Amino acid sequence: MVMNIDIAKKVIKAAIQQAQEMNRLCSVAVVDARGFLVALHRMDQALIPTVDIARDKAWTAATFRMPSSDVGRFGDPSSPGFGFNTQNWNDRLTTIPGGLPIMDGDQVVGGVGVSGGTPEEDVTVCRAALDKGFASKA
Amino acid sequence: MEKITLEMAEKMLEAAERWAVLAGYPSSIAVVDEAGAVIAVHRMDGAGPMTTDISINKAFSAVYSGAPTLMLARLLDPRLTGKTIGSGGLGLLTQAKLRLMFIPGGNPIRDGEMKVIGGIGCSGIPDGVGEISDTTAVQAGYAAIYEEHD
Repeated sequence: MVMNIDIAKKVIKAAIQQAQEMNRLCSVAVVDARGFLVALHRMDQALIPTVDIARDKAWTAATFRMPSSDVGRFGDPSSPGFGFNTQNWNDRLTTIPGGLPIMDGDQVVGGVGVSGGTPEEDVTVCRAALDKGFASKA
Repeated sequence: MEKITLEMAEKMLEAAERWAVLAGYPSSIAVVDEAGAVIAVHRMDGAGPMTTDISINKAFSAVYSGAPTLMLARLLDPRLTGKTIGSGGLGLLTQAKLRLMFIPGGNPIRDGEMKVIGGIGCSGIPDGVGEISDTTAVQAGYAAIYEEHD
C-alpha cells in the first residue's frame, strides 16, 4: 500500500476532530514512506511554528520508522550513538513526542506529526488520527 | 472577509486541484495566511516531492512581495534589467533565507480593501505546454472563496 492524498486527508481530519474535542489548536502533517510531505493542515489560530514542528515530527517518525519520541534514545551520552544530534538530518530531525509512523500491517507507509498541545496531548491526537482516520481508509 | 480560515483554504485547494486535473498534471497546492505561514498544503497523487515546498514558497513569496510570483519572474528578465547590475531582481535572489520563488504560480489573496490576507501557490503544471498553467490553477482557487463570501 502506498500513501495517497485521500488517506492523508482522512488522517488529518480525524486528528483535527480529536484536537477540537480536547480544545487544542494544532497543525497536522502527513508524509509518505520516504518522508515527503503529502498534506498539512493548520487549524485556525494555531501558532505559526506548529506547522514546521508537525512536519518535522512526521518526517522523523516515517524515516526512522518509529515514534519520534523513541528517536531520542540514540542520543543517550552512554550509548555508541551519541553525537547523532550533531548530524544535519535534512534539518528535520526532532525527538519531541507527537510523531508516529503510519503502519499497514508491519509495513511503514508514512508518518503523521501533530504539534500544538503538550507532547502527551500531541501523541493522543496522533493515536486518534491513526485509530480513527487511517483505520477508516478505503 | 478578514482572515483565511482552514475551511476556506480547503475550498481553494479543491478548486485549484480541479484545474490541475483538467490540465492533466498532478500538482501541489498551498494556501498561506497573511504571515506567509502555511494553512493547508496538498500534494496530489503522482505529483513530485519537490512540488510541495515549491508551492509553499510560491504562496509565501506572493505574500512577502505583495505581487504574483509572475512579477518576480519578470524582475529577473535580463532585457528589463536597468543599466546598473542589481537594479533588477538579482538582489532578491538571496532574500528570505532563499525562500523567494521566481516562478509564476503564486498569487497574493486580497480582501475587499485590497489588503493582502494570504497567498496561494501551485506547482506541477508546466508553463506554456497547455492552456492551463500554475497561475490559472491558483486564480481558480482564489475565485473559489469569493463565490460564497460575497
